[in-house]
Amino acid sequence: MRLNSALDEVQSANPCTSIPRSSVIIGGPGNITSFFGFGQSADIEIILDGTENRKMAELKSEDGKKERHFLYYDGETVSGKVNVTLKKPGSKLEHQGIKIEFVGQIELYYDRGNHHEFTSLVKELARPGELTQNTMYAFEFQNVEKPFESYTGSNVRLRYFLRVTIVRRLSDMVKEVDIVVHTLSCYPDMNNSIKMEVGIEDCLHIEFEYNKSKYHLKDVIVGKIYFLLVRIKIKNMEIAIIKRETTGSGPNTFTENETIAKYEIMDGAPVRGESIPIRVFLAGYDLTPSMRDINKKFSVRYYLNLVLMDEEDRRYFKQQEITLWRKGEKTRKNLQTSATSPQLPHLVTGGADSLTAHNHNSDPKDLSGTIEDMKRDMDDEEHSSNSTVPPVSSHGDACSTSLTAGGLDE
Amino acid sequence: MAITDELRHLELYLFDEFQKGRKVADLYELVQYAGNIVPRLYLLITVGLVYIKTNTCLKRNLLKDMVEMCRGVQHPLRGLFLRNYLLQCTRNVLPDVAEQEDESEGSVRDSIDFVLMNFAEMNKLWVRMQHQGHSRDRERREREREELRILVGTNLVRLSQLETVNLDKYKKLVLPGILEQVVSCRDAIAQEYLMECIIQVFPDEFHLQTLHAFLKSCAELQTGVNVKNIIITLIDRLATFSQRADAAVGSSSIPSDVRLFDVFSDQVATIIQAINMFHSLLQSRQDMPPEDIVSLQVSLVNLAHKCYPDRVDYVDKVLLTTLQIFQKLNIDRIEYSSALARELTKLMKIPVDNYNNLLTVLQLQHYGPLLDAFDYHGRKNLAAYIVTNALDNETLVPTQEQVDTILTMLSSLIQDQSDQPSAEEDPEDFAEEQGLLGRFIHLLRSDIPDQQYLILSTARKHFGAGGNRRIKYTLPPIVFQAYQLAFRFKALKNEDEMWEKKCQKIFQFCHQTITALIKAELAELPLRLFLQGAIAVGLMEFENYETVAYEFMSQAFSLYEDEISDSKAQLAAITLIVATFEQMSCFSEENHEPLRTQCALAASKLLKKPDQCRGVATCSHLFWSGKSIATGGKEMHDGKRVLECLKKGVRIGNQCMDPSVQVQLFVELLNHYIYFYEKENDQVTIQILNQLIGKIREELPNLEANEETEQINKHFNNTLEHLRNRVDSPESEGLSAVLQKLAQLPSSDVDCIVDALDRAVPSHQPAELVSKTECFNSIIDDTEGL
Repeated sequence: MRLNSALDEVQSANPCTSIPRSSVIIGGPGNITSFFGFGQSADIEIILDGTENRKMAELKSEDGKKERHFLYYDGETVSGKVNVTLKKPGSKLEHQGIKIEFVGQIELYYDRGNHHEFTSLVKELARPGELTQNTMYAFEFQNVEKPFESYTGSNVRLRYFLRVTIVRRLSDMVKEVDIVVHTLSCYPDMNNSIKMEVGIEDCLHIEFEYNKSKYHLKDVIVGKIYFLLVRIKIKNMEIAIIKRETTGSGPNTFTENETIAKYEIMDGAPVRGESIPIRVFLAGYDLTPSMRDINKKFSVRYYLNLVLMDEEDRRYFKQQEITLWRKGEKTRKNLQTSATSPQLPHLVTGGADSLTAHNHNSDPKDLSGTIEDMKRDMDDEEHSSNSTVPPVSSHGDACSTSLTAGGLDE
Repeated sequence: MAITDELRHLELYLFDEFQKGRKVADLYELVQYAGNIVPRLYLLITVGLVYIKTNTCLKRNLLKDMVEMCRGVQHPLRGLFLRNYLLQCTRNVLPDVAEQEDESEGSVRDSIDFVLMNFAEMNKLWVRMQHQGHSRDRERREREREELRILVGTNLVRLSQLETVNLDKYKKLVLPGILEQVVSCRDAIAQEYLMECIIQVFPDEFHLQTLHAFLKSCAELQTGVNVKNIIITLIDRLATFSQRADAAVGSSSIPSDVRLFDVFSDQVATIIQAINMFHSLLQSRQDMPPEDIVSLQVSLVNLAHKCYPDRVDYVDKVLLTTLQIFQKLNIDRIEYSSALARELTKLMKIPVDNYNNLLTVLQLQHYGPLLDAFDYHGRKNLAAYIVTNALDNETLVPTQEQVDTILTMLSSLIQDQSDQPSAEEDPEDFAEEQGLLGRFIHLLRSDIPDQQYLILSTARKHFGAGGNRRIKYTLPPIVFQAYQLAFRFKALKNEDEMWEKKCQKIFQFCHQTITALIKAELAELPLRLFLQGAIAVGLMEFENYETVAYEFMSQAFSLYEDEISDSKAQLAAITLIVATFEQMSCFSEENHEPLRTQCALAASKLLKKPDQCRGVATCSHLFWSGKSIATGGKEMHDGKRVLECLKKGVRIGNQCMDPSVQVQLFVELLNHYIYFYEKENDQVTIQILNQLIGKIREELPNLEANEETEQINKHFNNTLEHLRNRVDSPESEGLSAVLQKLAQLPSSDVDCIVDALDRAVPSHQPAELVSKTECFNSIIDDTEGL
């Protein structure tokens, strides 16, 4: 059910979460107790430098709410000021020192106690002493390395934050501010198209082609499906984008599949020789770059799942991994300007312009040796029970997910 | 459908929005995020149209994009409607410029590609409907398809609306594209509809220039396709077109006449080429039922005729191909009731109806052979049709060659046929059709007498083989024609030295012909013909004519003696002979005397007394108004012999047992007496008249009162009345006075008086010649002509 809610949220992307909050967020595990008894004798505020020019990005919190935070890239300096404001003017605040930390950590939900910090930088703002008036401290983490992208998944979270701690004898006063980190990639050197013939012997032979194997997050998947042999009554065909999150290692490996997008690309039954265009705009979906073995803790991979459904609601599918990457904003801007020029990159400009034209062997038998088997969902019972239930989308989603997993397991 | 209206509103709204400067490009992308394909594509098209309108420089690419993306909908019904929507939306934005000014805005070429692609896809979807679902729903599916076909056809309409599509583009781009799709879809319903669509939506000028390609495709269509209808539609269009063009040539008064005409004749040449092409098409489609082939030929003939009415050879060519096709299919007898025969009859009637001239039909060399393909009934039917047409149009056939051809063609009417059914035909129908032939013979006429003779010989040869049943209808007209010809020779005697010989030959010919009728065991007919011949000869005055006339007369006599046995017929015959003989003046006394005596003898030898009486009375006239060379062509006025005859008549009358008949005979004899009295035969005296009148008066009251008696009474009274008038106004000429009286009588009496007159006035035309059949009508015409 987690998957479902995640998907629902994607679909109901809520703009209300986009109100920027410049005030301090006080929170984080273990900090709540620090306010008991003492009241709030002082407020801690972290003000980042250059916020007027800095972009903000969305980040999902653990409970699924969307928050917006300032966006940083790898190697950027994180600097700012910490204001400590005394609640009652004239009172004194005694402390054992004030420090600010820059933390990047991975939280595995099944292992709450252990946070794996892969980055932790500390700056001392004040030596132990007494604060008698409101004080401001400047801080700067020069060219901080931020190797990973912020990520909130179903079993794992990777976050960056700044933490100010006023060390006190009994309990510390702590203030955390999250930031978002995006990792940018360059254009991949190798970016071959994905082209494959798949099928079920004597039932269905298709050839599909996606124009690339690596897509950036605002990219467009262009491709086509060519039907070489159709002996089943196909009802429709869709492309699903599946996110597979793997956490842990060894026996403690958890895999979670989530269908990010379902995109119908064909309606009705094609006949042999038909070619169906594919064009999927990735910008419409909530995607992250592909991640591999992030700090040996987790991976996030994306798959394109081509699903054909026949009239008896049997599903035939083939998954193909694609790599997603994040393109730098500046280059993206350049691209946008080029997009307004007459040649729109994603338009189909001819029969097979965007794809290399290939000669289809008219006799599918010749190809039988090279054809990869498609996965076929044989779990008829489940589907027949499905069909008695009015089509509930969430149910279908769960179903398809499990199917995909099943396909993999095989 | 409502949804498209809504989308139109959206389109308008969007258009307004983008006029205000919004970005369409983003929206074009945005609509494509929709997960379900059908609504996504409807939106795409709607936004795409706005995009095109606001950014014309993207037109070309966007059109391509949209038509390509629509491939995603493979469901036939939804796909058809989606693409129809696409076609509707884009109808006003399709580039229609010949030159490629701005590449991105596109030219008409792009429009063609666009529509052709859409057309091909729609057609595929439409065809696919046929193969989806249960076979038991086939009828319903086909009905549905019929309803949807207009969606597919609209593509072709759109193509035809592109104004910059000229002949060249049509030939090179549009038509090949359409045809390829039509042929390759291999669906009969689609092929039939689309081929017709092509014919209907594109202009005739295009069709003319692309016939070859079109017909070639026709040959490749599925077997179930009714190619016949397609071709006929095409031909009809071309035919009306060429007529229009013809009219244009005719009506235009501008100086460019000549050029126009050139254009037109070019087109005619193409049409002829088309005929050739049709033929090769026919040969390539072996699977077509022969009746369809023939009905195609029907429209081909129409085409050839309409386009080029003067060129008989084109029509003939069609007939030839038809013939060849039959040979190929091994069809040698076409049953009359079959569909093929119906179509072929239609085909064969066209030249007849169109030319309305038998001679033109004769120029069709393959007409006859094709006619032979029919069975007996078919041939006969068509032959009768041809003859009727000739009669209606009074087409004269002026040479013996033509006569020969035509009669060969009509042989099913003229002679017994090998495949003739043994059953007897309805005698009335038979008489009617032979009557037609009889009338037709009068159309075999040349202005040159010698030629005419040859014609008659040819005809004689054909008709002579007709068998006993037919010749009685067909030979008499020939004989009369021959008599007429003889008169023509006589009229030319100053120009033609040989006329006497020729006349003799003609009468020989007639003699032979009549003899043929005798051989057919006919008696009265040849008798009459001989008599008629005798009269004709009598008027000819060629060398030897007396002998010939005598021969004719003697033949008539021998016929009378040998062949006529019925007493009534005998009386009629002897009356005729006497009447004929009375008219003739060509005999010398040497010949006249035996004939005269023979007549009297024959009359007195009749079996029944009343007949004898009447015969003898009739003979009496021979001795009064008979003429011979001896009397110098004047009436001989042998009063004594007249009286003898009449007296003999009275004597015979006395021998009659039936008083009623007796009185009737007396009254008739009284009439004869009065006639001669009026003619101033001094042997006939008032005394004799009174004696007879007294006798009649004596007998009359003794008769039983019945209708017959009343008539006799009236006849008698009228006679007396006449006498009285005669006395009152002696200056009036006898016979004419009687006739005047006649006119005033009630019609019921006229018959009996006419009857009396017949006897009284032997010179009266033999009314019996008027027979019931039409054949004899024509004879009457001739006798009048004589």
